[in-house]
Amino acid sequence: MRYFILGLLPFIAIFLQSTFFSAYSINDALPDLVLIFVVFFAFLNGEKKGAVYGFVCGLFEDLYLGRFIGVSAISKAITGYIIGRLQVRFFNENLLVGLMVVFIGTVLNSLFMFILGWSAFSVFNIDTSIISSAIYQSIYNILLAVPVYIWYYNSSQRGLLSLTGRDR
Amino acid sequence: MKKHLKNKYFWLVLILFIGTSILINSTSSERNQISLIEKIIRDAYTPLQSGVVEFKDRLGNFTVFFSSKEQLQQEIDSLKEQNQELTIENQVLREDKMELRRLRSLLGFQDISLSKYEMVPARVIARSPSNWYRNIVIDKGSDSGIEKDMAVISSRGLVGKVASVSRDSAHIDLITHREIAVGAIVQESRETQGIVEGLGNSNLLRMVNIPYYSNVEAGNNIITSGLSESYPKGIDIGVVKEVELQPDGILLSALIEPAVNFDKLEEVLVVINYTRVSPSEDNVVE
Repeated sequence: MRYFILGLLPFIAIFLQSTFFSAYSINDALPDLVLIFVVFFAFLNGEKKGAVYGFVCGLFEDLYLGRFIGVSAISKAITGYIIGRLQVRFFNENLLVGLMVVFIGTVLNSLFMFILGWSAFSVFNIDTSIISSAIYQSIYNILLAVPVYIWYYNSSQRGLLSLTGRDR
Repeated sequence: MKKHLKNKYFWLVLILFIGTSILINSTSSERNQISLIEKIIRDAYTPLQSGVVEFKDRLGNFTVFFSSKEQLQQEIDSLKEQNQELTIENQVLREDKMELRRLRSLLGFQDISLSKYEMVPARVIARSPSNWYRNIVIDKGSDSGIEKDMAVISSRGLVGKVASVSRDSAHIDLITHREIAVGAIVQESRETQGIVEGLGNSNLLRMVNIPYYSNVEAGNNIITSGLSESYPKGIDIGVVKEVELQPDGILLSALIEPAVNFDKLEEVLVVINYTRVSPSEDNVVE
């Protein structure tokens, strides 16, 4: 059940991004729900699982978009890895810590996307506006992260996403 | 043992990284067809995304139910008035059209009007979920005869072209996209030719390669020239906002406000039987 939900989350995230959030952008920036799920998973499960989950979710997103397949996969995998490393340093039950991690994750992911997309200048919208876009995305992600983190944290403690049996 | 394990992970990560880099590279340029797995993923989303659009429509109908009678009556009156004006205009245009057709056949000119093309109407069901790559998704795909590179228009003007197709949906690159270039002319003077390009993040377009002696000014209408592979002639692109000399001093460029409001796009038409008129024939037409 846990793996089913974990697999369903990026699917739902892209569905919401493409239908609902695309109509309510903040200053032309969309949130990155897939990234939020990757960041929370990595933060609660450590760097290795975080990197794998980031890679799989990113690849799924890339396959939906159909161009530069692998760019999100790599950037989300590295982001997941780094956020996973933070797991031991912070108490993860604090909402503020959760929001901070989302902020760091968004900045890191934008940076890796920027570096990976550098060679593909003509297609990616890389110019100065991408910096403002990253800032607005961070704000949007933090706003969304409030309800998502409360649900995600509780769910991974004793709900649908909690570890059972050998997994623990 | 631990070191060995570390090594194993190192090699796994390295192979995965190289494999993904190859994948990025091979999908960085436009492909003629998308892979089966991409088609499956997209077709899984189509009914859900169509459902959302339908739900929004119904919600719209529901709110109309609560609108005041006076407000609706006002709207009906203004639409009736507009309808009358358009009917008269339509009569005049129909007369002109018949005359044009007669003159064309008299001179042996080819009919290049949009009405001769077959168009498939489609609904916009989703937009790109990413900040990095902007496009729209429509609810018709290869089953409805849609193919890659077909032109997509709306009642207001040119929208873009089909980027990739699955069975029940198609992803459309908008003309504001950096990769898209459309051959264009100024509607008023008919002589100025240039290329309209997307600016990427901004909702504006830029027309480049306009000769310096051209008579182009703010307020001019820009339409497709019919010289691109994908776009029929005579579709509205936008209105010139400002004109400036390019750094080389020989060419002009113009900033263009698109005719279409891409944020509010709900329905589009895909031109499915356009074949480019060769330049020599085109010159005859002009």
